[in-house]
Amino acid sequence: MKLYISTPPHIRTNKDTKRIMLDVIIALLPTTLAGIYFFGYRAAIVLAVACVTAVLAEFIWQKLAHQPVRTGDLSALVTGLILGLNLPPTAPWWLACIGSIIAIILVKQLFGGIGHNFMNPAMAARGVLIVSWPALMTAYTLPSVFPALDAVTSATILSDAQVAANYTYMDMFLGNIPGSIGEVSKAAILLGLLYMLIRGVVSWRIPVVFMGVFAALSAIFTGDALSACLTGGVLFGAVFMATDYTTSPMSRLGQFIYAAGCGLMVALIRNFGAYPEGVTFAILLMNIVTPLLDKYIKPRIYGTKGAKKNA
Amino acid sequence: MHSSGEGKKQTRNVPIKTFVSDSVAIPMSMHIGAPSKPCVQKGDKVKRGQVIGEAVGPLGLPIHSSISGEVVSVEERLLFGGAPVVTVTINNDFTDEWVEGIQGHGNVETIDPSLIVPIIRDAGICGMGGATFPTHVKLTIPEGKTCDTIIINGAECETYLTSDYRLMLEKPKRVVDGLRAAMRAINVHRGIIAIEDNKMEAVQAMREAARGRDGVEVCVLRTKYPQGGEKQLIKALTGREVPSGKLPLDVHTIVINAATAAAIADAVIDGLPLTERITTVTGAVNKPSNLQVRIGTMFEDIISACEGYSEEPGKIIAGGGMTGPCTYDDTMPVTKGGGGIVVLSMKDAKCAPESPCIRCARCVEVCPMGLDPFKIKNFCLVGDIKGAKDHYVMDCIMCGSCSYVCPARRQLTAAFKEVKTAIMQEARRQKQ
Repeated sequence: MKLYISTPPHIRTNKDTKRIMLDVIIALLPTTLAGIYFFGYRAAIVLAVACVTAVLAEFIWQKLAHQPVRTGDLSALVTGLILGLNLPPTAPWWLACIGSIIAIILVKQLFGGIGHNFMNPAMAARGVLIVSWPALMTAYTLPSVFPALDAVTSATILSDAQVAANYTYMDMFLGNIPGSIGEVSKAAILLGLLYMLIRGVVSWRIPVVFMGVFAALSAIFTGDALSACLTGGVLFGAVFMATDYTTSPMSRLGQFIYAAGCGLMVALIRNFGAYPEGVTFAILLMNIVTPLLDKYIKPRIYGTKGAKKNA
Repeated sequence: MHSSGEGKKQTRNVPIKTFVSDSVAIPMSMHIGAPSKPCVQKGDKVKRGQVIGEAVGPLGLPIHSSISGEVVSVEERLLFGGAPVVTVTINNDFTDEWVEGIQGHGNVETIDPSLIVPIIRDAGICGMGGATFPTHVKLTIPEGKTCDTIIINGAECETYLTSDYRLMLEKPKRVVDGLRAAMRAINVHRGIIAIEDNKMEAVQAMREAARGRDGVEVCVLRTKYPQGGEKQLIKALTGREVPSGKLPLDVHTIVINAATAAAIADAVIDGLPLTERITTVTGAVNKPSNLQVRIGTMFEDIISACEGYSEEPGKIIAGGGMTGPCTYDDTMPVTKGGGGIVVLSMKDAKCAPESPCIRCARCVEVCPMGLDPFKIKNFCLVGDIKGAKDHYVMDCIMCGSCSYVCPARRQLTAAFKEVKTAIMQEARRQKQ
């Protein structure tokens, strides 16, 4: 008789890294489909290029670096998809390509691969693209199921109150507004969040606190919290990007502080900064704060209340 | 976190059956404390309940023959984990004759309380939930300490195991009697029987049995592993926290497993020493069962009684899936603390390789002690024992929750066990 021997526990959850990543992809499906529905085949091409490049970049890097190939854990696919959803539907294919390579090689692999990147890869790549190609990154078109070749580019609602006045709250909620592929349909994003909450992929803490702080500050700064929440990429960022495991704190208190910081920074940048949208830099900034939060927030350990006094 | 109902379906509705095998192999070390000294030789005739191992040292316990028959060998055998232990092997003559002088006291409410603790010691009773701490030592309150509550642990939060559940369902009065005996022994007026809410039938049975008994109440707990961990149980029931590095008695509480309580009742009421226990046999066996077996019954005999393996076994666990040690073959005996035999198939037995931590914080969320398992694991990886200690690794209760939930399949509990062992060895070295 030959038996395996190990220390307990002998049973494990069936939710491994791959299953979690698959759940994130499933959660991203509604907003992906909504983006393709509103912006047509051009959005589909951007997404496809971003995804394929991300997975290929990871595969090639790990081959060249003689590392175990981990593309099977689907994390590169998630990064590629999220990056694609962060691009405007008018983005040229090479922009998606460069974005994915920056995300996977520069931000993720150079810092040690999955679990070791200090910034959200897709978010950091978007940051690089915004700074490098600002015109291409904000060339939003009006949504159209059959985009004509002469699709009118529009300013984002955020930068122009006149444009904003053209849309109802319902348009903003459903996604019938200009913007990045994944961020327009708030309904689809919330559907994804609901799925992730049910599956236990993320907790409510980061998205709720992020949006709560942001909405409160927006009410103070602009007087219209609802349209602030329904425009731009803030909801997409709060649900899919700020919740990235690797770059958000692991303690509950840390998550509250981190999420509140994100909400605060978005509100400040939107209202007082040079950019119309502040989600990218707000989240990147809080990503960098994460290691500090993890280091200095000490857990409350069972049986240690008052132990220090006795010691 | 999984609910502790996991793996219990196979046996939860299977009534307890008795199984007696042709021979037993009784190890002289089944409790925490020095191994007992064998006092029989090859060829000796022994009767059931006869002392075959004498207690040694302050934490020592006597060991009794669990059958009547002939001693065929007294020699070292390997026990779980590979340590050699002197083991007395006895062939059964199936007369099942008890040793002379067995005399019970009939009623736990009328017995002189000062007799109870010596009876428990002489019956060789230790914690039957797995920790195997001698029960009479637990019930001996040291100078300067007090106890106001005794908790009977019927949570049975371990996966797969249903032996305590069946016991509480089928012999609830025994459990209550054991609790009352313990309460009277140390003059405590509050006794709580704690059961998780996935065992409501047992709750009902226990409530009926406890009706009219002084100071005994049944409390229902939320089903949540590791609810039955001593420290978690005390917190849930009394709101008290056992201080780091201290014992339940430091918060005036004693916790006794349900099976141990029943053994106390057997000893006090009927005068019977501990010679049998209920064990759950489940997993990849053809007939999953709850069996009442004699201490020292071989796993292979028990598995044959359950109509054999249903597929090629990959792992055999002596206990539950979260905390039980696994054995390297099936020639292991049932010990006093052995609540289960869980057979995993080859497929279930294989461990997936570790992959990088994705910082999902699940280990932080589930740790019942509030530790940061991912941080401690990093200290373990670089061999920083001091760092691990400063992050309270010694408070880890080895429940296995962090390893269970880790999506990267990281060996967290195993690493903590290693570093805890190293720290304890170092402390011992410094003492000498």
